[in-house]
Amino acid sequence: MFRFQSHTDRIIEAYIGEYASGKSELAINRALELKQQGHQVVLVDLDTVEPFYTLRPLKRLLEEKGLEVIGLDSEEAFGLGETGAMLTPQARWALWREGDIILDVGYGVMGAQTLNLVEGAFESPHLRILAVLNSLRPMTNSRDRIVEYLHSLGRVDAVIANSHLGDETDAELVLNANQIVFAAAQQMGLPVEYVAVEERLRDQIPQGCFPVPVKYIKRYMPGAMWR
Amino acid sequence: MQAVIGESKKAFMTGNEIVTWAALAAGAEIMFGYPITPQNEIMHYWTRLAPKYGREFLQTEDEISAGFTVCGAVQAGRKAFTATAGPGNVLMQEPFGMAEAMRLPLVAVIQQRGGPSSGTVVYSQQEVTLTTFGGNGEGHRIVYSTATHQEIFDYVIKGFNSAWKYRFPTFIMGDGYQAKMREPLTIYEPRERGIEMVAPYPLVGKPGHIGENRDPAHLCNIYSLEEELYEVVMRHAADYERIIPEIIEYEEKECDDADIIVVSHGVVSRAADDAVKALRAQGIKAGYFRPITLRPFPQQQLRDAIAKSGAKKMLVAESAYGQLYRLIRQEIYGETIPIEGLFMPGVGIVDYDIITKVKGII
Amino acid sequence: MTVSPAVPKSWYLPSKPHKFCPGCGHGIVLKALGEVIDELDILDRTVFGCDIGCSLLSWNFFNCDSTQTHHGRTTPVMVGIKRGRPDLITIGYMGDGGGYSIGSQHLLNSAVRNEKVTLILVNNTNYGMTGGQMAPTTLPGQKTETTPYGRDTELTGYPTKGPEFLSALTQDSAYIARATVSNYRQLKRFIKNALRNQIEGNGFSFVEVLSTCPTNWRTNAQQTLHFLEDEMEKHFPVGELKNPLGKGDK
Repeated sequence: MFRFQSHTDRIIEAYIGEYASGKSELAINRALELKQQGHQVVLVDLDTVEPFYTLRPLKRLLEEKGLEVIGLDSEEAFGLGETGAMLTPQARWALWREGDIILDVGYGVMGAQTLNLVEGAFESPHLRILAVLNSLRPMTNSRDRIVEYLHSLGRVDAVIANSHLGDETDAELVLNANQIVFAAAQQMGLPVEYVAVEERLRDQIPQGCFPVPVKYIKRYMPGAMWR
Repeated sequence: MQAVIGESKKAFMTGNEIVTWAALAAGAEIMFGYPITPQNEIMHYWTRLAPKYGREFLQTEDEISAGFTVCGAVQAGRKAFTATAGPGNVLMQEPFGMAEAMRLPLVAVIQQRGGPSSGTVVYSQQEVTLTTFGGNGEGHRIVYSTATHQEIFDYVIKGFNSAWKYRFPTFIMGDGYQAKMREPLTIYEPRERGIEMVAPYPLVGKPGHIGENRDPAHLCNIYSLEEELYEVVMRHAADYERIIPEIIEYEEKECDDADIIVVSHGVVSRAADDAVKALRAQGIKAGYFRPITLRPFPQQQLRDAIAKSGAKKMLVAESAYGQLYRLIRQEIYGETIPIEGLFMPGVGIVDYDIITKVKGII
Repeated sequence: MTVSPAVPKSWYLPSKPHKFCPGCGHGIVLKALGEVIDELDILDRTVFGCDIGCSLLSWNFFNCDSTQTHHGRTTPVMVGIKRGRPDLITIGYMGDGGGYSIGSQHLLNSAVRNEKVTLILVNNTNYGMTGGQMAPTTLPGQKTETTPYGRDTELTGYPTKGPEFLSALTQDSAYIARATVSNYRQLKRFIKNALRNQIEGNGFSFVEVLSTCPTNWRTNAQQTLHFLEDEMEKHFPVGELKNPLGKGDK
């Protein structure tokens, strides 16, 4: 019989959020972090709306780094006309695999409901749904808009503050722009899991700048476009 | 009309989203669209945002219909637009032709994908010929080719004004990469930048009573006599030629003493810019020329660049098999400078590709 | 020992396992079609044409000749093949967007002309492959990527009822039916009747199949079946609307 693996310390995290909010980037970084801590990690591409700015082009690179990646290769996804919005059977049954599971959920009007596609996700006691928020994105650039947006997502267990402007990000911007995220989270009664900051700003934004941990991330996604 | 952006601010967005925000800021009232990758998120964001700002949307049964509904809405005096790509752009040539013939202020965003036919959903610059000269007409169109996210915002706003001011169908042409890439830009209300938005006005259903204080609008799109059509087309041609100096836009760098001029447009010009800088650093005198308007084409400006530099060669770099190259050759007919091509249909071009090519031909 | 699953002989095995999402109804429709092709023994003279969209994933599904077209243009391409070679059995396979939206003019006019082709249209209430936009068949109030607040019938009308409008347009020699992937035996019978109607030279044959799209509906297995059987079938009644083959053949 099929049964859920009963690891008590198992980590299952779903990264959800607005289009281009940084879900894939943070999911990759989280998966690699767990890998470095000695965990077995499965990274699952659940992007069903946006066919090509996903982690697909990075699949091989990530596999070389020791991650198990569930998702279509670019070649598999591109070859057939509009093909893109597809789910692999492996993704549906991802929770049956050993190890920690990081789910990279694409954007879309259905929000967290997308996790219905992963067998057993909502039944799992380990599942944590993390909403990634960048307050430099117009759809989520005020406390009210973030609250409205979070309401539209359905179940959310915590938020991740990921406010940035790509290459133009500086420390002051990170410190200021994330305040809106904290305010919205407080209004919703949601914890802020961590603040994501690009590695290059580590010295300027040390731990302690925020009441929650700062995670220093590397950007992989820019490599996803120009292969 | 309700403010959309408010105070000008930095934002981090994808190209498709920017189209939506810019169209809202420009006062676009209704979008007609049909799903096709890679422009879908323009519709996705328009349908999310439009109701919040009192704007409208209709998903039509196909692109033919999307184009014709835009033709109808602008006649009714509404700022309307559509967005498409590839095979959708092909289907829309029929309504685009009508907009050309009837001088309708149609605005269309084209996010080029690979071709021919269904091609890829990813990227190309293969819709240059189609967008500039498609249809059974004379190419009386305004076509802007953007290179950055800031330009997408700027030129969508400008595109609505060009369409309503000059009454030629106007295209903002990006591509799948620009559609999906994400980068920072500044978004703003046009009026904050001193940009006056041209107010739309109806061509039919004008106020008043027919026979009393107004005549019926008989908008003509088919003519009984060759001579009638001839006069109409010649009038359009004269109008078009007259406004060319006002519309033409281009970007030129390092051409004064260039031995070779690299010409590109759209997103490829970002690679060309980097390549020219790198070549200069290596002592190779390269220049950069980029038409921003592909129709009308800055042909005199390119001729001037060739003349003043005395360049011995020109390289045309494009993600197509010679569409920009052919356009340039017809536009600068008579110039004797040898023109080489770096043609990479349907795939991206990076600075390294251009540097290698330049070194191979200089 | 590994036991291979029973698959129709007409399936092209190198393209298996197929690429449809888990829980998608296309596989069921194509299995029924495969079995019918086997039973009617028409593999050699069948030409299968598929539209753009998820239906495109079926282009090398069978061992028979198959062809890809443009979005919405499968019907005229199959009509062209049939008129060029009336001895061939032509099957056009499309989604609700391709059939009822962008290709509706072709669908309507081929029905009016009583073209002797068989068309199978899969209705899953959305544009699947482009990421879940509104389709002509999207139910009132249903959320899609282009109806983020639910389909508003004031603005976008009601779901297209294909078999009903095609029935009104066609002659008595046409075969028109609506099946569902939740009733396999009936689905297979309808597809068989539609192909027999073409083989016997009667005329236009059309089967709409109510199908599932859990990926874009974001539904789990139970919710998927609920939506199909309780929501869709309420709007889209299942059954044969026209059957010129006579009662004994049903």
